[in-house]
Amino acid sequence: MKLLEYEAKAILSQSGIPVPTSTLIRSVSDDVTLPTVLKSQVPIGGRGKAGGIKIVESKSELTEAIKQLLSLDIKGFTPGSLLAEEKLSIKKELYLSLLIDRASAGISLVAHKNGGVEVEDNHNFASWPLGDTPDFDALGQSLADYYELPGQTFSLQDLIQNLYACMVKNDATLIEINPLVVTSNDTLVAGDCKMNLDDSAAFRHDWQFEDTPVEANFVTINPNGNVATIANGAGLAMATVDAVFEAGLSPANFLDIGGGANTQTLLAAFNRIVEYPNLKAIIINIFAGITRADEVARAIVAAKEQITHLPPLFIRLAGTNYDEAAQILNENNVVIMPSLESCLDAAKETV
Amino acid sequence: MQNLFNAKNIIVQGITGAHGSFQTKAMLQAGTNVVAGTTPGKAGQSVESVPVYDSIKDIQADMNVDISVIFVPARFAKGAILEAIAAEVPLIVCITEGIPIHDMLDVNKSLKGSKSTLLGPNSPGALLPGVNKLGIIPASMSLAGSVAIVSRSGTLTYEAMAGLTSKGVGQKYVIGIGGDMIHGIGYKECLELFQNDPDVSKIIMIGEIGGKEEIEAADYIKSSITKPIFTYIAGHHAPEGVQLGHAGAILGSDQESARNKTKILAGAGAVTTKSITSLIEAVSK
Repeated sequence: MKLLEYEAKAILSQSGIPVPTSTLIRSVSDDVTLPTVLKSQVPIGGRGKAGGIKIVESKSELTEAIKQLLSLDIKGFTPGSLLAEEKLSIKKELYLSLLIDRASAGISLVAHKNGGVEVEDNHNFASWPLGDTPDFDALGQSLADYYELPGQTFSLQDLIQNLYACMVKNDATLIEINPLVVTSNDTLVAGDCKMNLDDSAAFRHDWQFEDTPVEANFVTINPNGNVATIANGAGLAMATVDAVFEAGLSPANFLDIGGGANTQTLLAAFNRIVEYPNLKAIIINIFAGITRADEVARAIVAAKEQITHLPPLFIRLAGTNYDEAAQILNENNVVIMPSLESCLDAAKETV
Repeated sequence: MQNLFNAKNIIVQGITGAHGSFQTKAMLQAGTNVVAGTTPGKAGQSVESVPVYDSIKDIQADMNVDISVIFVPARFAKGAILEAIAAEVPLIVCITEGIPIHDMLDVNKSLKGSKSTLLGPNSPGALLPGVNKLGIIPASMSLAGSVAIVSRSGTLTYEAMAGLTSKGVGQKYVIGIGGDMIHGIGYKECLELFQNDPDVSKIIMIGEIGGKEEIEAADYIKSSITKPIFTYIAGHHAPEGVQLGHAGAILGSDQESARNKTKILAGAGAVTTKSITSLIEAVSK
């Protein structure tokens, strides 16, 4: 899950990483110390360019600025709150992050000399794999050399060590500090922070964050598409979308019902799918492994009974408990097609 | 990689759980020699007549263990894999989905310099039709033969295998390396196994958007694979920056797109296809 800036900074602060003093405000009546930087709390990048950050110097501008930011939509997100931070006196802005590196199957430190919003256009990042037992003294030294800030060596060593501990303790998969601000007093402060936490580790934390988990299994590709897809397994779901597209149809969504899907989760999926305005057909492509085909069959029967305006279903089922599934569908006059291709051919006739 | 997949003494960790017991039955039905299982605190019970022990160490007091297949729930999976590594089990196959990434980073540290090889997690396992079913790949859809399949996606693995079977084309290996960001053996180790096994005539590699493993595999294909190799990369129409299903499938940059990976594989000498159907047709010719 992606945290909002104020949530991420609270975690940084608990881990001993300096952040600006701040107040979270949700309405115009909340008290703010001036001057301040008001920052829209939305779970998406590019906020500054979209007008989601305002510097407020005087009381007279404050109410209007809060009102405006709270109603400003940024790439589909309207903020529930604003972070009012002290205005830092900035000498230099850097980029620093810790992330999971797939290739080395470990954590890597990534840095750039130019922090701030421009970093997205920069490509020459420096990176250091932390290895199995990170040597923070050496890493801090390398980072200070790279930033050309020899006076910050000790601070950087501390910072990386704290950041690493923060990442492990909180099951974070990404902590990105951008900008990492060098203030006019030569202190290091996290100006902004993006943090992603591993949803799989939720069982061992008491996470109470605003942001809803990123829904990976149901993704709208084209809300005006004419064919919805239901499949199991990420690969098969992607391949089904590819096949719909290759057949000259317009796929509306990607849906992986996952391993061990049951009637209830499937019904919920059907209910979301029928919301697409141009929907003419639903392709169901299931190769049962841990998911059992008879569960899918029961969900299909339930969907046909409970959902009015269900467009025609084109179903391909195979794998675990297929015979039972075929019997259930047969008894309810639902046709199973022999292959995905036959489903697509039939769907073309309908669309 | 030494061929560890043919070995005969197979155990199941988490054998008394719902998935563990269901899949143990299917493995036995496929003729796989499941000799024992573990669930802490359930020693003395049995599942499908297979004896249950508290730990791998206890099993090893009675018999050798060549391969362990893990069905333990995600929160306990790290402990189960570490137990198998400590017991020096040569091949560990982890089916469990949803293991925290930091747990897998720890597992990865323990694997280095150990005597174990890990397949998975979040993998359907490996199927050698007529020899071993190590995981959840449905054996009834397979046919013994000489094609070898490696894939990151469980269901696409089944799909390719069943498609070949329906055309009378048999398989020697069907291996799912798993969809997680951090996992055990990858494409390269499997391709090496297939290249070195004289019984393998053709190779299928199925990939996805996200990560660079298929690109690294392409380097290996170019330098070392002389057998005919057929590929399909899923996710040609995936939106950028959105995770599709499992954690490994997120399109981070254009380099990680299905289009780019397909292009690089073609450059490495692989036959590339744009759907599973065309993949099966190309291999069956």
